[in-house]
Amino acid sequence: MQVGFINRPIIRLLMLGLFLVTSAGAGDASSEIQVWPDVVQIGAFFSGLEVKVTGKIPSGAQAVVEITGPAAAERLMRKGRRGGLWMNVGEVEVQGAPSLYLAASTTPPLLKAPPKAATWGYPALKQQVRFAGSVEQGEREMFLNQFFQLKESEEVYAIFPGDLKVKGGSGDSQVVTGTFPLPTTVKPGPYRVCLTMVQGGQVSATHGCDLKVVMVGFPSMLAGLAYEHGAAYGILAVIIAIVTGFAMGYLFKGGGGH
Amino acid sequence: MSLSLYLPLAGNSINILLLFGLGGAVGFLSGLFGVGGGFLMTPLLIMAGIPSTVAAASDSNQIVAASTSGTYAHWRLGNVDFKMGIILIIGGVLGGTLGVYLIKALRALGNADFVIKVTYVVMLGVIGGYMFMESLQSIRRKPVESRKTSTEPAKVSLYNRLVQALPYQMKFEKSGVSLSPLMPLVLGVFVGILAAIMGVGGGFIMVPVMVYMLRMPMHVVVGTSLFQILFTCINVTIMQSITNFTVDLVLALILLLGSTIGAQFGVRLSKRLKGDQLKILLASIVLLVMVQMLLSLVLAPHLMLAPKGGH
Repeated sequence: MQVGFINRPIIRLLMLGLFLVTSAGAGDASSEIQVWPDVVQIGAFFSGLEVKVTGKIPSGAQAVVEITGPAAAERLMRKGRRGGLWMNVGEVEVQGAPSLYLAASTTPPLLKAPPKAATWGYPALKQQVRFAGSVEQGEREMFLNQFFQLKESEEVYAIFPGDLKVKGGSGDSQVVTGTFPLPTTVKPGPYRVCLTMVQGGQVSATHGCDLKVVMVGFPSMLAGLAYEHGAAYGILAVIIAIVTGFAMGYLFKGGGGH
Repeated sequence: MSLSLYLPLAGNSINILLLFGLGGAVGFLSGLFGVGGGFLMTPLLIMAGIPSTVAAASDSNQIVAASTSGTYAHWRLGNVDFKMGIILIIGGVLGGTLGVYLIKALRALGNADFVIKVTYVVMLGVIGGYMFMESLQSIRRKPVESRKTSTEPAKVSLYNRLVQALPYQMKFEKSGVSLSPLMPLVLGVFVGILAAIMGVGGGFIMVPVMVYMLRMPMHVVVGTSLFQILFTCINVTIMQSITNFTVDLVLALILLLGSTIGAQFGVRLSKRLKGDQLKILLASIVLLVMVQMLLSLVLAPHLMLAPKGGH
């Protein structure tokens, strides 16, 4: 007991020291890149949100900022023609593709025609996306382009070449800023914001920070009920519908003169 | 203030007025024709950005409200044949269960989507086309026929003789027909199978079946169809909530507020229109949906990849 009593303040001091060291480190990293807000809340009236990213890069350097969602396997249907009619003809599983991909650059060529070894943009994504199911070897490139088009139509993939604004900072550094539209379909989860600095066609440094998307309030409560108590949720939905139906019928009876 | 509302199970936000308007328009048709409106609402919701699985399941929930409101209004008018409705519900549940197994087997064979699409086009084309032509002829020849009926004895068709030969004949007072309960039971099974294959409540198939095969008067058909749809959609809502988590209550609530109001206006208009006028209007809508679906089958799609879940 006595040992524990003696040790408690020491442990607290050690933890405080550790916290000061780590937060000082984090302060260094966040000074290179910051995202605002860093926690996006999906509430009852959420209709998408613009997040602002600010970063510091050396004078004369170029930059690319990416916001990436966690990768998860996704099942899609491929269309084909059977007997002269277009329909779903097979299932395609897409692996390794981020759930969200937004990228902006200081100059348009950095995103439109990135260098071969670039770790950003659609060419880099093409390296990490894999297809399984009814896709032939020769169809990969076509389906990759189709996949990006599909994701752009869903507003979860977008590139903004040349949209990062550069302002002269103090001394040998400059400040880049960019705004990124998070779509209404953004899913709750951890997202990563990455700033890549490019000098002389080579990556000179990368910095990252986290962006969190969370569901809050009524949507969170309702989703919890639906996923954890499906039967109760279904019965509740039916009861609400029947009561509303009767109430409307009754209201109209009063004014309708049937 | 934003008019958008976040739908937690659909994972998207949508304009409240748009949803309310969609619900109102489809509810109006529901009250007017006695159809659930699933064959119209689900594609419209998908177009508005709702995932197809959530659109279909949440639509079932809003149909519960619209058909409750519509059934109540028709019951007050004396237009619901509960005896016929209950037999059709039993048949529909049996057929729906058979249909679910059939579609599962077809999915295992890999050609379910083909069957679904072709069934849609054929059923919509046949029903819409037949109703349209029959109603048009009926409107044109009415004055001539009324003179004929007084002088010529009515011919008994082979179909009528077959119907009358079935066992356990009983009188359905509200509909004013006498037939074997086996007839609505078998037809209920048939509609249930088709509804399960097509993923809809089946009102737009049930209405013509009641009119042409059960020979029920149009105004009783509308009320009885809504009564039957109510039970089908209660079952679908609970099953989808338990198995697929695709019923979005927020989406359904806004739709049902619109649809229950719309349904009341539909019921009022249905009283003012004649049976043939109602049939020709429903036939036109069914044919329009069929043409839209046929075009989606014939024209090359913009993208060769599509999210899983839609037809």
